[in-house]
Amino acid sequence: MFKTTVAAIALTLGAATPVLADFPERPIQIIVPYSAGGSTDLGIRVVADALESKFDGLRTVVRNQPGGGGGIGTSAAVHARPDGYTLGAGAQGPIAILPHVGGADYTVDDFEFVGLFSRSLQLLVACKDAPFNDYDSFMAYAQTKAPQIGNSGAGGANHVSAEAFAKAAGIKIESIPFGGSSEARTACIGGHIDAMVASPAEAKTAADAGQMTPLFVMEDKRIDLFPDTPTAVEKGVDFTWSSYKGLFAPKGIPAADLDWLRNAVKEVASDPAFIAKMTEMGEFVTYEDGPAFEARVKKDSAMSKAVLEDLGLLGMNK
Amino acid sequence: METLSYLAPLAQLDVLWTIALGTLGGLIIGALPGLTATMGVALLIPMTFGMAPVMGLNMLIGIYIGGIYGGCVSSILLRTPGTPASAATVLDGYPMAQKGHAGKALGMATIASTIGGLIAAVVLATLAPQLAGIALEFGAPEYFALALFGLTIIASLSGDILKGAISGLLGILISCVGADPISGISRFTFGIQGFASGFAFTPALIGLFALSEVFTQIERLASKEPPVTLVKNRWPSWADMKESRSALIRGSFIGTLIGIIPGTGSGTASWIAYNEARRSSKTPEKFGTGHMPGIAATESANNAVCAAALIPLLALGVPGDVVTAVLMGGLMIQGLAPGPMLFQTNPDVVVGIFGGTFIATIFMFIFGMALIPVFSKILMVPRRMLTISIVLFCFIGSFSINLNPVDLYTMVGFGVLGWGMQKFGFSQAALCIALILGPMLEANLRRGLLQAGDNLTEFLSGPITLLFLALTVLSLGWPMVAKALARKSNARPEITE
Repeated sequence: MFKTTVAAIALTLGAATPVLADFPERPIQIIVPYSAGGSTDLGIRVVADALESKFDGLRTVVRNQPGGGGGIGTSAAVHARPDGYTLGAGAQGPIAILPHVGGADYTVDDFEFVGLFSRSLQLLVACKDAPFNDYDSFMAYAQTKAPQIGNSGAGGANHVSAEAFAKAAGIKIESIPFGGSSEARTACIGGHIDAMVASPAEAKTAADAGQMTPLFVMEDKRIDLFPDTPTAVEKGVDFTWSSYKGLFAPKGIPAADLDWLRNAVKEVASDPAFIAKMTEMGEFVTYEDGPAFEARVKKDSAMSKAVLEDLGLLGMNK
Repeated sequence: METLSYLAPLAQLDVLWTIALGTLGGLIIGALPGLTATMGVALLIPMTFGMAPVMGLNMLIGIYIGGIYGGCVSSILLRTPGTPASAATVLDGYPMAQKGHAGKALGMATIASTIGGLIAAVVLATLAPQLAGIALEFGAPEYFALALFGLTIIASLSGDILKGAISGLLGILISCVGADPISGISRFTFGIQGFASGFAFTPALIGLFALSEVFTQIERLASKEPPVTLVKNRWPSWADMKESRSALIRGSFIGTLIGIIPGTGSGTASWIAYNEARRSSKTPEKFGTGHMPGIAATESANNAVCAAALIPLLALGVPGDVVTAVLMGGLMIQGLAPGPMLFQTNPDVVVGIFGGTFIATIFMFIFGMALIPVFSKILMVPRRMLTISIVLFCFIGSFSINLNPVDLYTMVGFGVLGWGMQKFGFSQAALCIALILGPMLEANLRRGLLQAGDNLTEFLSGPITLLFLALTVLSLGWPMVAKALARKSNARPEITE
């Protein structure tokens, strides 16, 4: 916290001095819309660390502003002064989904996308004592009874992804919301739900220990960690979904600064030490520039809107 | 023998030094209101990037253990729970400090935290895989029954049962503000985005206990009151220890059990331990007036939770509370995935963490005892200046958690509410318990109904559910039964033993 305070003072002081040196001459603040210690927070901290070691003299400050499903912190970053010194952690939920649910004072068009540096791949896994153990038996079961699929919160990313799959595959599911992903995981390992959406890293350990069984991967090709697990695409369901981590800026930041930031994200995303660290955390490091990131977010946003409309959640909190 | 060799890295000076530093840092973080153990661990995770796993993780565990313990310092001295875990310590700790026994209260808190921590650490090191299974037994009905049982504490904590019930119900109503746990719809937020996640818990607690006390103090400032005279002693006497013995042991085991159940945490454990200590005491009326067993129960319980919460994390990959969820992130960054496989793939790390838990607990004892005289000096600060500083801390602490200005309104609002409750004899503790357990009760009731297709009988099946429901009935009915029995035995004195 002291770090934040110091940085806040530094920011105020910095604002008073005339701009002489090149961007960035002051610490860059990155707003994370979740509590410290979550996967988005840790990912951003690794990025901040990499930025500091890559660019000599650059200081970064990670600022956590949790609450409202990520809407509060994201709103703070969207409405920050567009000088390039305040960025937001681009997380799927608050950017692509929350504006449709309501309670957010921004839309998907209010972001200046800097770059995406990692994707969080997703799998559907069967929990302990589930009445199915692979894709085919899951689909067969779903014809007779709606499987109970746990998620980390109503209207959150993995609620939408599970329902989006059900919509694409033409099956019915019963979504069971929990207060966060670790609660859902506990219920899954304990056999209190049938299935859940998990990341490859957590699914791998749990599958090795016999706690979960992977059903399918939400990518268009099989992934290295699970060579024997099919994708929905190869089973004939046109469905892919992944979450991501990136950076965005408020609209209207100077073009030169935006270029500098975009390049910085690109450099970090190709740094071997960064890739190693993120991979250990179970992230799939990949780089997408601003426009590609924007296109991805808009596609998710459209898909989420359709799903939320079906669920009757569209504009629920407006 | 092999196991012992895994402990060797812990004997290295730099590892010990790191654990000591972590524990001391945690202690200070915990003592400052608003800076919680969760935040301490989360903010220091990047520091562990470059460290060896055993060293980095044990530093984080040191912060965790020190942080949960440190919360008692401001609870006892300033009536400001440093962390939500030590809110229950306010009840007896603060009155003791007001009587001049701050040193002894802190001493008892330190000893209790150490014993609770060590007992849970022994359980962690010896029975982790066997006990971890308990964590998986808890589905929605079980959590619901546990929360219901926890709420019965309100009945025994508040002298006036009607006012206690009103406080408790008010707490449950307040906890309804924010996103609905099942449908996600915003309730009672009046369109204010800052309330979308409900009232932030720590600012609410700071307002409820600390700011309300400031208001009360200001009222008293006009009247000339003798300043608190400090009694220097920091070691509880043998008589004190004997009196607190059963509270200590109960607290330690309650903390260990609650710690294993994921998603409950040290707040719940310390309230249940406090209530059990009071219930089984021969002098329950002394609780709340500065009674040592009260401190012994809450502090042994909340530190027992620390080590116990590591049990499901290490054995199953399921974090026991918020801090261990953050610790899990720390483990993953080190390339270690917690879960049943960890015992086979990285026994050195598991044993190292077991050992580190003991070492951190012992460091906590040493630092805690050594710093008591320093901490107690706070009470020598003139009342007026101290009051102003507490107000300052209330604001800084409430804001620093989420950097959300709405939290400041929450803190002030709860401060006024707490002051009013205190003035008119409503229990703030009852409100606090309801704030902790209300959301757990509601979310699990509704999740359970959703899963069972609205079939209520689900909540009357399963051994754990039935056990907690029976305890609930017993806990509510026992005072009446006891009274009836007493009347009976008075009528026929020849039967009494």
